[in-house]
Amino acid sequence: MKKQWRYSCLPVLVIGALLTASSAFAQSVDTARIEAAGQNDWLTYHGSYKSYHYSPLAQINASNINNLSVAWIHIPGRSTRGLQSMPLAADGVLYYTGSYSRTFALNGATGEVIWSYFPELDEALIARQTHSPYNRGVAIGEGKVYVGTMDGRLIALDMKTGKVMWDTKLLDSQKLTVGFTGAPLYAKGTVVIGAQGGEWPGRGPIFGVDAATGKKKWEFLTVAGTEDAMKTWGNDSWRTGGGGGWMPGTYDSENNTVLWGTANPAPLYDWSGADYKTQGARPGDNLYTTSVIALDIDTGKLKTYHQELPHDAWDFDSAVGEFVMLDRDGQKYIVHPNKSGYIFVYDRNLGVKNVWRITQNSNFVKDIDPKTGELIGRRDFSAGKVSEPLCPHISGGVSWNSGSYNPKTGLYYKLGQEWCMTLEVQKTTPIVAPQAQLNIGADFKIAPPPGGEIYGHLDARDPITGAKKWEVRFPEPPLGSVLSTGGNLVFVPDSRGTVHAYDADSGAELWSHGDGTGHQGGIISYAANGKQYIAVVAGFGGMASDDYAPTFGGVYKSMPRDDGALVVYSLK
Amino acid sequence: MRLAWKITMLAMPTLAALVTISTLRAQQPAPPTQNEELDVGQLFATTCGWCHSDGGRAAGKGPQLMDTKRDDEFIRNRIKHGKEGAMPAFGVVFSDAQIDEIIKYIRALKPHQG
Repeated sequence: MKKQWRYSCLPVLVIGALLTASSAFAQSVDTARIEAAGQNDWLTYHGSYKSYHYSPLAQINASNINNLSVAWIHIPGRSTRGLQSMPLAADGVLYYTGSYSRTFALNGATGEVIWSYFPELDEALIARQTHSPYNRGVAIGEGKVYVGTMDGRLIALDMKTGKVMWDTKLLDSQKLTVGFTGAPLYAKGTVVIGAQGGEWPGRGPIFGVDAATGKKKWEFLTVAGTEDAMKTWGNDSWRTGGGGGWMPGTYDSENNTVLWGTANPAPLYDWSGADYKTQGARPGDNLYTTSVIALDIDTGKLKTYHQELPHDAWDFDSAVGEFVMLDRDGQKYIVHPNKSGYIFVYDRNLGVKNVWRITQNSNFVKDIDPKTGELIGRRDFSAGKVSEPLCPHISGGVSWNSGSYNPKTGLYYKLGQEWCMTLEVQKTTPIVAPQAQLNIGADFKIAPPPGGEIYGHLDARDPITGAKKWEVRFPEPPLGSVLSTGGNLVFVPDSRGTVHAYDADSGAELWSHGDGTGHQGGIISYAANGKQYIAVVAGFGGMASDDYAPTFGGVYKSMPRDDGALVVYSLK
Repeated sequence: MRLAWKITMLAMPTLAALVTISTLRAQQPAPPTQNEELDVGQLFATTCGWCHSDGGRAAGKGPQLMDTKRDDEFIRNRIKHGKEGAMPAFGVVFSDAQIDEIIKYIRALKPHQG
């Protein structure tokens, strides 16, 4: 009876607290709530399971955006390789990570630190890693915040206090070198997280972990994870095949399915020549690398897949890219960008419905058949100097950061990158001992597109057909994510350090503000105490942005690569 | 052909050493075997070239290594210990003799012909 009484009084106390202070911890975050995507919150990496990176909030709009200014700033410290994460927001509390998986819960209205958590990491291991120590964000659900670490752990923190609830070692990072830099996904009692991989000679696992206990429920190997897939790796090359799933996918509740994009095979560049099915470093299609896969969320069993680039010989993997879930004319679609700059449109069973391209400069294939997804006129290299530069550059036709779909305009706002590379393909041998090392398979150098300069562009396009409505160009490719809002605005945090806001219908620039350093991470909108905020991470450095100083000079020469801040805007 | 042979010979003793030593030291990477010959050109195409563009001839994420003014000790130290947020530490991967080979390769770098 006593217990019952305590519980019945609790909601009253909670409501009282909500009315007087920040609305922190008002409700639990569960699958249904993430699916519903309430307008005040940002509950998963891609905003909601629909992956729109869109906020319906309209308090900030074209009529008042000139009054948008900095509300507060948070400095996470030790921002080695800048800040790359996507903040989340629930009930007026903002959750985000910095490098070394530093995790913060902040009052969304004031920036006051509610709690922080700095995991104790294997720093000696991290010093030996190439693609670290950045972290790209957390998942929330069942009263916990979930964060991965570079030394191969997934940690659950109490959402209210930051106390460690469980800490599960999933990867032997001492052997494999890689850990977790990507955000996890929470859905239906399971936390899903994919390992780094790609150019590292491993098998690129994706894990499903029990959200309540931290116990591993399943593991799916993106390299030769089934008997059929094993046959697509000649000469036992699956042993060092690469793969992985280093960015979060999403959850399709209708099919009880996790949708995830997988990383490229290793070595990045193969010397097979045209006969890649039987020759070279990894003869065959190399399933399930550079693929989109549908896994049963309860068992991790593969239900269906589409390999976007069979035998990827260019490092244009599928780990990048959001899964935009759309309904149009009674049809259900999934839009998924591949790193190459080709945008794949699928039905909900990953059947190809269309393929379109966002980049101007692309020559790794002549085209991709929009009806079947088949590669047409692919360039498979032999060892030696490649005569014509390869386009796009290894950093991709699109970044790993996300575009934004605005259901009000029906437009998909996505950044494209125009750059190429010279390369000389070389035969290599995977280094797996004493600790796995990158396996590239070439020497290369960034190069401008033939007859032009490197640039980037924000496109507003129909997500299904690819028809372009407008475009804004940037002198250097922006690397951050895009946000669109119900206020008919599109926000782009660029590489020089300026946040731009554009009219969602016309692309006209309405506002801009400097954050003091380059952007290469997330941007969201949320509400706290009835007020709309825009939160963006600033802080440059990493595998793509480290090329900017030697390539572009200018502001990038003095831009720090070990600094960053979370900058939050609101109306004055 | 010579290249392939050298690498094959390199991999075998390293793997053998790993099997032995990793059993003894579960979480400690095995130190490399001394005096192993290293094909540094191939090493750049395998691992180093992501940052040191064009086999070390051009600046990329990392500095251009060809014609570097840094002395051997600096380079040796940087390879061994790395630089936080910029270069991994390779001290447990390569022996001193192998690092000397890498320095020799860097000193001998010339622009591509043509």
